[in-house]
Amino acid sequence: MKKIILVGFLSSFGFGQSGFEIAKMVDEKPSPKDMSNTTRMVLTNAKGKSRTNVMVSKYIDGNKKQIIWFLEPKDDKGVAFLKIEHDDKDDEMRMWLPAFKKIRRISSKKKGDSFMGSDLSYEDLSNRDLDKSVYTRLDDETINGVDCFVLEITPKKEAKSSYSKHTSWIDKNSLMAVKEESYDKSGALKKKKEFSYREMKGYFVMKRVFVEDVQKNRTTEVAFEDVKVDTGIKENLFQEKNLKRLPRN
Amino acid sequence: MSEKRIKDWFLSQSLDHPKRTTIITLLISILMGSGLQFFKIEDDMMKMIPENIETRRVWEEVKDEFGNTEMIFVAFGERGTSAYNREAMAELWDFTEVVEASPLIEEVISLSNMNRMESVDDFLEVDDLVPSRDLDSGEIVSIKNYLDGNPDIRKRVLGKHGDFFNIVVKPKEESNDQAVVKLLHDYADTHLKEYEVHFGGPPYLTGLVGDLIRVDMVVLIRIGLLGMVLILLWSLRSFVGVGMVVAVIVLSLGSMMGAMGWIYNFTKSDNFVFTIMNTSMPIILLTIANSDGVHFLTKFFKKIRQTKDKRKAIEMSMHSLMLPIFLTSITTSAAFLSLLFAPIEVMAGYGYTIAIGIMWAWILSTTLLPSLIMLTNWKMDSKAISQPGLLERVVDKIGKKILKAPRLILTTGLIVVLIGAYGLSSLNVEVNIKSFFSQDHAIPKSLTFLDEEMVGSMDYTFRIEGDLKDPKTLKKMVRLQEYMEEHPKISISISIADIIKKMHRTIMDDDPAFETIPDERDKVNNLFTMYAMSGDPDDFSTLVNYDYTVGLVTVISKNMSTQAAKIYVGEVKKFIEQEINGEMEITTTGMLPVLGNMVDMVISSSFRSIFASIIVVSLIAGFFFRRIGWGLLAVIPLSSAVILNFGFMGLFNIDLNHVTAVLSSVIIGVGVDFAIHYISQYRRSVKTVKDSDILSREVIDEVGYPIVLDALSNMAFGSLLFSQFLPVQHMGGLMVFAMISTSVGTLTILASIMELLRRNKKIYNRLIRGN
Repeated sequence: MKKIILVGFLSSFGFGQSGFEIAKMVDEKPSPKDMSNTTRMVLTNAKGKSRTNVMVSKYIDGNKKQIIWFLEPKDDKGVAFLKIEHDDKDDEMRMWLPAFKKIRRISSKKKGDSFMGSDLSYEDLSNRDLDKSVYTRLDDETINGVDCFVLEITPKKEAKSSYSKHTSWIDKNSLMAVKEESYDKSGALKKKKEFSYREMKGYFVMKRVFVEDVQKNRTTEVAFEDVKVDTGIKENLFQEKNLKRLPRN
Repeated sequence: MSEKRIKDWFLSQSLDHPKRTTIITLLISILMGSGLQFFKIEDDMMKMIPENIETRRVWEEVKDEFGNTEMIFVAFGERGTSAYNREAMAELWDFTEVVEASPLIEEVISLSNMNRMESVDDFLEVDDLVPSRDLDSGEIVSIKNYLDGNPDIRKRVLGKHGDFFNIVVKPKEESNDQAVVKLLHDYADTHLKEYEVHFGGPPYLTGLVGDLIRVDMVVLIRIGLLGMVLILLWSLRSFVGVGMVVAVIVLSLGSMMGAMGWIYNFTKSDNFVFTIMNTSMPIILLTIANSDGVHFLTKFFKKIRQTKDKRKAIEMSMHSLMLPIFLTSITTSAAFLSLLFAPIEVMAGYGYTIAIGIMWAWILSTTLLPSLIMLTNWKMDSKAISQPGLLERVVDKIGKKILKAPRLILTTGLIVVLIGAYGLSSLNVEVNIKSFFSQDHAIPKSLTFLDEEMVGSMDYTFRIEGDLKDPKTLKKMVRLQEYMEEHPKISISISIADIIKKMHRTIMDDDPAFETIPDERDKVNNLFTMYAMSGDPDDFSTLVNYDYTVGLVTVISKNMSTQAAKIYVGEVKKFIEQEINGEMEITTTGMLPVLGNMVDMVISSSFRSIFASIIVVSLIAGFFFRRIGWGLLAVIPLSSAVILNFGFMGLFNIDLNHVTAVLSSVIIGVGVDFAIHYISQYRRSVKTVKDSDILSREVIDEVGYPIVLDALSNMAFGSLLFSQFLPVQHMGGLMVFAMISTSVGTLTILASIMELLRRNKKIYNRLIRGN
């Protein structure tokens, strides 16, 4: 709680802060040691047709290690996915394919690729490396009654981003992004994202993400249910052998 | 309102209010012509197919579900030089990036943006096949090795000899094809100057032909007008008179084209889009409008020569020609409106539009033309008025000969018609656009290149409705593709089944034995899920729908003739019925089925319009002449000309297609004018001339010259010979021939029949006089 009060105090004096300083505050804000949830992801295509995926997810190290078991749709039940991010090499991703009884490693070289056919790419889901972007502070704005810093984030070449820039609205109080617009390499608006949060054990934890791909006219809504934080998830959970078993709860 | 009152009203407009009439007709023409701003030129064969036919219906469904599936094929390279080189690969990268970034383009598929799917050290890797614009030699070797190991993929992106890139460009559904063609040409002209570049595919041809139509139309109108002016000057010998006829022609033409634009603007119907078929339309109207003017002016010169009184000459000409010109306009319009019965719906648009033009030309000929004559000071000593011309004297001599030997003339005519009828059995239908150009034209050259070196440019699409995750469905798709690829003209086929097979092999450690559809549904499911985690789900968007309930099999073929396409489409349909249909429903679309559909539609359109126009024209003529016998007599020369026309097409290997299919309506519509003028004069003369030997002589004396002059000015149809489209050229030649045969037929066969009938009092009285 102290940390949140401190952050709130700092943000009220945020007039003279640079874009980088705000981004650093966001990067350094406290986050849960581990987290688990049931994720409900609804994909809606340009013709208004929807597809729903439900999965159980567990994370540690601020999402750097992640394991997902698919529950719905029925066709995907039993499929599981393990991702381990590395700073110095390509991320490791493995899938358990129950029909083949095989674990297969899959490539993650294309950061712009979509995650599970959604409008969220692996890049959208990964943590941004603070030093690999340039941050420009724009005029503050109020979004739905929430006072926000507005940052223009331009990925550097070494970030190998699929975007040319992002505009991010960051709640001055929680230091969580409430809205973001991402632009493609040609500078055209590609995605609009909205985020909402719940407060748990002193953390601001994501409750809902809504992404609209304005170019493809598709949307993805992700809702996080049964969220638990700091429950002591062990590091050894994030191993291939655990992909084959659905968690008991 | 009685016929006399109508005539008087028209006369009064020209004689008493010539200035007012001139201004009003000009203003209305300008208003109609202003529709030119909405005038649309496009030649999309798919839009000629009625919406209730499967090919068109499925095309619309596929567009709705999968976006635009029509493809432009671009090939560029340097003959004999491998495409696996740094510079060429960089050019391909730039082309792909720049063209795909255009708002006109939905997607570009080339080697540059393909994925490679490989099993590397237990990894399923879906990655860019070409990692960047500037490649090093190691990367180029890696790309070459991958393609060598995947010959099916190689065939899609590289030419047979490895020296040309094959690129597929999919325009957005709403993009204008002409703008897309311009984008590609501009790019090629600026950046690919060092390379040989070829284009093909339906949207490309649609876009390119649109421009060619515009150029062709302008050239043909200029040539047609020039030819007509020269003929008129020679025959009428009056600059002022020729100027008046040209004014009627130009105003009619502008009004007709404008009306087409207005109708398109209000209805958005593809029937009112200007296509290759319509290229002949301005020349036909120009000729018909000229015919009305020529008849009137010739009569006026004759009457003023006799009366020396301008007002009286106009009155006499109007009284004499009002009904025949109206009747010829009505029958000609009716003949064109018979195209409404054609299953090729754009022909209806042709019929409506030209009928509007013809009726407006009639109004201008009976209002504007007499008004202009009234406003002009005529010199009585001018050659046009004071002396009959050379042509008039020649016709006079021919007339005398015909009347002396009616049986000989009739027998000769019948023999010629019989020879023509023999050729009907050799008539061939060909609507493939490749056959619309001479062999040295850039379009057939490029299409031949794409056929010989690349995968071809004709598509055949199968829409498959069923459970696309069911191995049974996927296996049937594979069976269909295997069957299709057995045909020597089929180059490649693409479907979601190919991706499943490839993924199955990859997941099974790249063992070629597993390049199959898995037997269990769960395995298919796992493969789809795995791809979704590692590739872009949009990779499937042109192959299977969101719910996995509808899939596409796209087959690319080399050029086929229309007949070959019809036979092949029939064989494929039979195969599907016997071996494939069951749990899934298969419907088809694409250029090959379009060609197949067009065969029956072209034949049916030709024959329906022939019969409809002959019946309608004879009924109208019978109604106005108050005896059906006259109606039947009016269509005799036409029927002979139609048989001759189509027979000669067969004998001289001239293809029947949607462009030449309108010929019958043109022949009947324009050719009937001669018979109507002849019969009108005959009916007028029969009232005053009691001596039957003098009767026919007087008829030929009165209308022979205008008919020959009319036919001569109809030689403007010959300007169609200057078209760059072969079917339009053929139309020009055939129309010239048809005008000679109908006019000669009227002055020989019809005159001979009348002469023979007159000798048989019983039939003559029953059929003609109504006694």
